[in-house]
Amino acid sequence: MDFIAQERDRLLRSTTRVVGVVCALVSVIGIISALAVPIIPLLGALACIAIMIGGFLVFGWNGSVWWTALILASGLGALALLFFGVDDTVRPVIASAVVPLAAGSISAPLMAQRGQPVGLGLTIAAGAAVVVAIVWASGSILAAPVTGALLGWVLIAVVTIWISRAIPRVARRIYSIGTAHRAERQASETEAQRRQGARLLHDTVLATLTLLAHSGVGVSEQAMREQAAEDARLLRHLRLGATPQPQQSGDYSLTREEESPLGQTLESVKQRFGRMGLEVSWHGTGQVLLPSHVLDAFLLALGECLENVRRHAGVGEAHVTIVHDNEMVRAMVTDSGVGFDLTHVSAERLGFKESVVNRLREVGGDAKLFSAPGSGTTVVLEAPR
Amino acid sequence: MTRIPEDTISRGLPGETVQPAPRTRREARERYRGSERRQARGLPSTSTGARSLRQAAKPGASLGAGYLGLGAAVLTGIEAVAGIVFFLIRWTEFTDPWLPAAAWALYLVAAVGVGLSLLTYGERLTGLAFVLICVVLACVVTLDFIGIWPEHDLAHTASASVAAGFALLPVATLRPAREVATAIAVLGLAFIGMAIASTPITSDTMPALVSTLALVTVPPSIAIFVVHRFRQLVQRELDRVLTQSNVQAPQFAVGMLASDELARLDLAAEKLLDAVANGSDPLPLSDASASVASSLATELRLHLIEGRRETWLYHAITESDNLGRSVSVADPQSLAGHLSPAQRDGLLQALWQMVGVGNDARTTTAGSPVVSVTLGPVGSDGHPVTDETMDVPIVFESRGVPRRRLDPTAWSALQRIGPYTDSVRDGALHVVAHCVVDRHPSM
Repeated sequence: MDFIAQERDRLLRSTTRVVGVVCALVSVIGIISALAVPIIPLLGALACIAIMIGGFLVFGWNGSVWWTALILASGLGALALLFFGVDDTVRPVIASAVVPLAAGSISAPLMAQRGQPVGLGLTIAAGAAVVVAIVWASGSILAAPVTGALLGWVLIAVVTIWISRAIPRVARRIYSIGTAHRAERQASETEAQRRQGARLLHDTVLATLTLLAHSGVGVSEQAMREQAAEDARLLRHLRLGATPQPQQSGDYSLTREEESPLGQTLESVKQRFGRMGLEVSWHGTGQVLLPSHVLDAFLLALGECLENVRRHAGVGEAHVTIVHDNEMVRAMVTDSGVGFDLTHVSAERLGFKESVVNRLREVGGDAKLFSAPGSGTTVVLEAPR
Repeated sequence: MTRIPEDTISRGLPGETVQPAPRTRREARERYRGSERRQARGLPSTSTGARSLRQAAKPGASLGAGYLGLGAAVLTGIEAVAGIVFFLIRWTEFTDPWLPAAAWALYLVAAVGVGLSLLTYGERLTGLAFVLICVVLACVVTLDFIGIWPEHDLAHTASASVAAGFALLPVATLRPAREVATAIAVLGLAFIGMAIASTPITSDTMPALVSTLALVTVPPSIAIFVVHRFRQLVQRELDRVLTQSNVQAPQFAVGMLASDELARLDLAAEKLLDAVANGSDPLPLSDASASVASSLATELRLHLIEGRRETWLYHAITESDNLGRSVSVADPQSLAGHLSPAQRDGLLQALWQMVGVGNDARTTTAGSPVVSVTLGPVGSDGHPVTDETMDVPIVFESRGVPRRRLDPTAWSALQRIGPYTDSVRDGALHVVAHCVVDRHPSM
């Protein structure tokens, strides 16, 4: 069964429950205030109404036909006890007191009989019995209680039909919203993929933003402007739908080949930091071919480490040693700067975890940090080949 | 050095309007609530989904209310016809039938007027229109009460004034419940006052008076209840349909909010770089702009690196108001991403069923999750892993969901995930499903 159909049945059942219970309670007030029913039929009728209310409470979550039968039987039983328990003069008064019971409580199960012909039949039969009883008790077919009871049944029937029809209509509208939303989600996911895929572009943007974060100190104003203009242009292209694969942005040279030699790209990193006043010395091999996504991660992590050296170490030189075996390529970034106490300055505070470790782990590598105050810092970066 | 606020990206960017600080507490509260809801939803505020949810949650007219209001108008019409017939039959019994007749005439004119204005201006009722309707109804009730005063029998002579109660039925679909409840209370008090003043209260008249009072106040009160439940149903269904879109999502997704955020950050970076390039932000940069650049770089980095770690299930749960409140997920190995769309659909359906029953039963305390789902670990006993496939154990543990209250839909949804076993331990339902998935999903 459809989810919305379940929800509809739940709504109709809880409406049944509320209508039934409220109307029964109102009738109880009316019956007691009449002060005309002898004690034995009164207690019997109140017991019947109590059973009926109990039936409604259970019916709220279990719409089985047995509960419908119980509700109808106890409701009719209460009517019979009240009408037969009083004499002819009081009967019309009692008839007006039980109008809510007759018009609301006994008719309420009508709302939740979808797909249950037996329950529907029982309810309609009970409705006919109720109208006959009220007509007899009030002594005229035009009496106010008869109108009231008939009106109650008609209203409940209309409510039932209307709610059952309103829900599929609103469901159709909700589904069309859902379709639009699915399309939007796919578009947004594609867009995010496209933007995240433009990694080289973002690397240059990030590098420039990092320079700007230090107010652009250490770089010539002209170079900074040109770099910013170039990066803004690339971002604009990205925003307008193109996927720029820059080979060159300002002074950084970027490569996007399936397998790129490390050394060539390292040279551009070296130049970049050279311009910012950090002399980077390379040791070891530069002739390692890496898949481009590994290279991206490796270079970004390396760039982050050198940026940390430039910012925090207080020295103008850093050493990068590259070694590789059949599985791994390792870079050791060393400086002889101030260093720090690992227990006092957590790695998170340097943005080390998110910018270096996570990026390398994403491609199957890892990073480790060693430092002590006064004796420099060493970072070991690992990436699979 | 000036103090720079932490969240510099959303403010202080060159070329962007800066939102002024909230002036009143109410404004602050509303703004906070709005942003909190958007965060909790995980949907960007401009998306169709978020807009529909906002519209459905607004008090007053909402999705589907128009048709429901039409149904309520039909009820009002039926009652009005019955009331007029009832009144005409007793025309000769009234000392002065013309005042109630005038009340009916006013009622009909007002009904036609409101109907026409709704047809012209669409399904909404402004506060002013609501006040106007209330004033007209008050006039109707007053005319009717004056007209039937000489009879001294409210229960058997009131007609147009009873119809005034039914006139609130369609209004209940278009205005917030509080306003309609106030109108019902005022009307009920007017009836009680009139009954005490005009009719001798005896055990003979009391039952009919109680019935009349019920006829006036109970239908619109039930209308408020039905409309409330209907709106809940619409919101829940909308929530479910929006969440369902995650079924087609790739193995790892960034989520709509993060994607929106990335676009926003890119745009902010572009603006900043443009400002630097054309010299409107002079070098060396001011502290404020440098701080913006720094936070942009950090956030952009986070969004680029940390993006694809969350599975569709995480997004589905966090985006959904209902599931987010009642479901907790433990999926340390991100196994949910491996599930096929059919299995995902089954998993979500089962969760919705359990949450629906759990909320219905209201046996749990508010705030505690109704269902907790654990995916994995793979390779445990009875859950074999081969080169191509693996058997992921999905464990549902739900407190407050009685087993017998789950209907066949829930079990067939579980069946779609895979073969399952269920047991009840210490009053908690415990279901373990064997979900066989591809180790290398194509999605």
